[in-house]
Amino acid sequence: MNVDARYGIDDAPVFVIDQSRCIGCEACVQACMECGTHRGQSLIHLERIDRAATTQTAPMVCMHCEDPTCAQVCPADAIKQTEGGIVQSALKPRCIGCSNCVLACPFGVPKYMAEIDQMMKCDMCTDRTSEGLKPMCASVCPSEALWYGTIDEFRENRTGSLLRDFMFGRQEVRTKVYTVVDELAAGPIDVMRGQAASWLDDPFALESGGT
Amino acid sequence: MFMIPHRHDAAALDRRGVAWGLVGVAVTLAITFVGSDGLLWFDAALIGYLFGIIFMVFGVIYRYSVWVRRPSTAMLNRRGWDAFRQRKARNAAALPSLVATQLLAQGFIRRRSRARWLAHQLVFWGCILAGLITFPLTMGLLHFESVGQQGDRYQVFVSRVGTMSFDADSVLGWTIYHGLDIAAVLVLAGVFIFLRRRLRDPGALAVERSGDFLALAGLFAVSVTGLFLTVSSIWLEGRFYAALNTLHALTVILGLMYIPFGKLFHIFQRPGNLGVAYYKRANAEGPAAVCRRCGDGFASAQQIADLQAILPQLGFDYDAADGVGSYQDTCPKCRRAQLALAQSARVGGFG
Repeated sequence: MNVDARYGIDDAPVFVIDQSRCIGCEACVQACMECGTHRGQSLIHLERIDRAATTQTAPMVCMHCEDPTCAQVCPADAIKQTEGGIVQSALKPRCIGCSNCVLACPFGVPKYMAEIDQMMKCDMCTDRTSEGLKPMCASVCPSEALWYGTIDEFRENRTGSLLRDFMFGRQEVRTKVYTVVDELAAGPIDVMRGQAASWLDDPFALESGGT
Repeated sequence: MFMIPHRHDAAALDRRGVAWGLVGVAVTLAITFVGSDGLLWFDAALIGYLFGIIFMVFGVIYRYSVWVRRPSTAMLNRRGWDAFRQRKARNAAALPSLVATQLLAQGFIRRRSRARWLAHQLVFWGCILAGLITFPLTMGLLHFESVGQQGDRYQVFVSRVGTMSFDADSVLGWTIYHGLDIAAVLVLAGVFIFLRRRLRDPGALAVERSGDFLALAGLFAVSVTGLFLTVSSIWLEGRFYAALNTLHALTVILGLMYIPFGKLFHIFQRPGNLGVAYYKRANAEGPAAVCRRCGDGFASAQQIADLQAILPQLGFDYDAADGVGSYQDTCPKCRRAQLALAQSARVGGFG
């Protein structure tokens, strides 16, 4: 038993990603490199939403789909899912570096590493979460855009509702990782819609006179 | 602990797989019969090993046949050959270098870690050496005859064809008779480097699969029990030889039977990497797919078209809700941005 363990099996902690909270500090990008299963490689994505218009950024970790498209399109059968629902990085002996997973993942998560001719992806810090610790990125994110804990802890400390259903065109995808919405009633997050620029261009009203 | 995320796990045996497997078994038996000159040179003491080989041949062909018909594998298989045939002369000329770098030298492992590369090279060449000796010996394709009345001089026969001869006491003779010992030492060295990493690296431990240890344990058992035979004959005056021989045969036979099921099946999957190399090269020379959101080229149009052909076969429908185009025409970067925009819209915006 790891003395630092925070969560046991019965706690059933969950990973929550709330892109809207990202402040672009890149702590997650650095922390991801410390993960024991892929030391030295940062597998998290930190996306600039629209560089010309805003400084807004958004992180992207593997959402661990219940029926992972990446695993289904893998010709080498190299992507496996644990009983706990974690979609693992490609099995190194099998991955033949075709990039099918990189191109098919609806969340744009897997990375093809040309140097080693392999795909690598986030495995929710299996070395840490299997011992009751938070994933590296969630343990350093100052704005809790990346968050790990029990659903009770979320309800105590956060606003919003947890959702893990997404629509990509006609394809509905359910994930292990949750995201946050105001209202569950609106159904899954429709990724191809809802594209309005929803960032605050002048959050402190400096450009409009500072009033 | 691990599940395979396949929806079509069938309990029944795959008939085409069984048929191809049986063809493979028939071919193996035919090679054995013909190659051993009507079983004249077949060593009946090795019948157990032959059983192991036959089981392995059936299992490997069965699994390969099922695997290669999965939609994504079948597509890549077809496209790999298509790409090869497109520029046959150039691609054939590139083959030796591809085989040497990707399959033999395995530089992609070295770039991951030198220790892992060394370990893999030791196990790889050790297994190849052992296979080159064990399979022909077991199938009666290889035997030794003394040259005339010279008791210390032997000739190597491949089937009925006499090849080189050598002195039993020469360096060459020693090397030939200890070929399997050399293979065992190579494999054991590799196994220990792998084990060291597997037992010490927390990351490796966390994503450990039972098959990882089983493969190493199998290689260890085969090598050690094989070396025991040499120890018995050289230093123990042949004591325990019969028991050790049975033990070694058992580990080898079980090891051969394990190949189709476990981690070692990657030996047969990995050459698919060559097809990928040709596919990628052909795709790089073709048009690029253009992202429906940002308008930039992001991948080969051929690969995106191939993916969109197999996704429906796998039960996915990423077509746009209005029927115009597909979500899969979006580049990965825009997918991430779109998701963030859609999520933030559901919480009243960023910030």
